[in-house]
Amino acid sequence: MTALTAQVNHRLDRWQRQLPWVATAIRLFLAGVFFTSGWPKFVDSAGTIRSVRAFQLVPEGLVPAFGYALPVVELLLGVLLLVGLVTRVSAAVTAGLMVMFLFGIAMAWGRGLQIDCGCFGSGDVVKDAVAGYIRDILRDVGFLVLAALLWLRPRSALSLDGLLGLTHHETDSLVA
Amino acid sequence: MTNARNAKTAREKAAELRAQAAKQEARRKRTMITAAVLAAAVALIGIFVLVKVANDNKNADEAKAKQPPANLVDGGIGIGKPTAKVKIDLYEDFQCPICAQFETANAAQLQSWVDAGTARVVYHPVSILDRMSSTNYSTRSANASAAVLNSSPTAWPAFHKALYANQPAENSAGLTDEKLIELAGQAGADKNAITTPITTQQFASWVTTITDDFSKAGYTGTPTVVVNGKKIDTIDPAAVKAAVDAAAKG
Repeated sequence: MTALTAQVNHRLDRWQRQLPWVATAIRLFLAGVFFTSGWPKFVDSAGTIRSVRAFQLVPEGLVPAFGYALPVVELLLGVLLLVGLVTRVSAAVTAGLMVMFLFGIAMAWGRGLQIDCGCFGSGDVVKDAVAGYIRDILRDVGFLVLAALLWLRPRSALSLDGLLGLTHHETDSLVA
Repeated sequence: MTNARNAKTAREKAAELRAQAAKQEARRKRTMITAAVLAAAVALIGIFVLVKVANDNKNADEAKAKQPPANLVDGGIGIGKPTAKVKIDLYEDFQCPICAQFETANAAQLQSWVDAGTARVVYHPVSILDRMSSTNYSTRSANASAAVLNSSPTAWPAFHKALYANQPAENSAGLTDEKLIELAGQAGADKNAITTPITTQQFASWVTTITDDFSKAGYTGTPTVVVNGKKIDTIDPAAVKAAVDAAAKG
C-alpha cells in the first residue's frame, strides 16, 4: 500500500516537474499561431478591414480602427508568448480573443452570413460557409483550452518571467 | 527536547517569513512589469491605429479630388441598352479564378441578353486579391481596365475578355504593365492614351474607392452577381438565368 502511494507520488512529482515544459510548449505553439494569423492580417490591412466589416458586428465607424488594431494585438501577443513575459496576462488576453472570435463566428453562422472568417488573413469566396464555421469553431475552442491551461499554470521553462523572478507559485491566487 | 523543537519551529517560521517576503516581492515586481508591458502595448496599438486611420482619411480625401475614369455608367462599366429592364451588377476581380469561370460559363447568355435588350450589365472591377500577387495585380489590372474605359470605351469588352484569357496564377507576379498595355492595344485601345494611366496607376484610388463601396454594401467575395439589386448566391448559369427571367417579368 505504502509502496503504491510512494510510486503514485513519485509519478505525480515527475509530472509536476514536467509541467513548466508543457507550459513552454503551449506558449510557443500559441505564439506560432499568432504569428501565422497576425502577419497576413497586418500586411493586407485593407483585406482585414473588409473581413472585420463582413461580420457586421463592429459599427462602421470603428471598423478600420478594429481592423488595424487586431493584427497588432495578435503579433504583440505572439512576441510576449514567445519570450514568456507576463505569461498569465498573455494567456488571459489570448483566451479573451478566442471568446471574441468564437462569438463572431457563431453570430455569422447564426445569421446565415456566407463569409470566410479571415482568421489567417482575409478570405476568398466561400463554397461551404458552414463547414468553415465548424472547422473554425473547433480550432478556436482548442486554442481557448490551451490558453486556459496556460493561465492556470503560467510557470514555464525558458521564460523571461522566470529569468526576472516573476514566476507564479502554484499556491498563488488565480487572479494576480 | 523542548528547546530543540522550539528551535526547529523558529527556523521554520523564519523560513516561512522569508518565503512570504520573496513571494510578496515577486508579486510586486510582477504587478509593476505587467502594468508597464500593458501600458506600452496599449500606447503602441493606439498610436499605430491613429496614424493608419488618419492616413486613410487623407488618402480618401485625395481620391475624392482625383478624376474617376470617363464613361462610367452607374459607377461601373455599362454594357447594353440603358433602357433594359434588368440590371446585372457584376463585381469581379481580374485575379479571381472563379470570376474567370463565371465569365466562361455565362458570357454567351450575358451577351444574348444585352443584344436582345433584356438586360444590361454593369461591371465593377474591384481589387480584393492584391495579396494573391507580389505586384498588387488586382489593383493594377482593374486600373488598366479603367484606363481603357477612360480613353477607348469600345475596347473595354475585348480587353475584359483578354484579361481572363491571360489570367495569371495566384501567388505569381501577375502580368507586367507592358503586357497589360499590349493586351489593351490588341483589344483596340489607343496605346498612346492608356500607357501613362497604366504605368502611373492613375485610377488606382478610384479602384480602392469602389472596392470600399463594395465592402460597405455587405459584399464579401468575387464574383458577386446582383440582379436588380438582389444578390444571387451562386454563379451557376441556370440560376443566373432564373434570376434574370424573374426580374424581366417582375
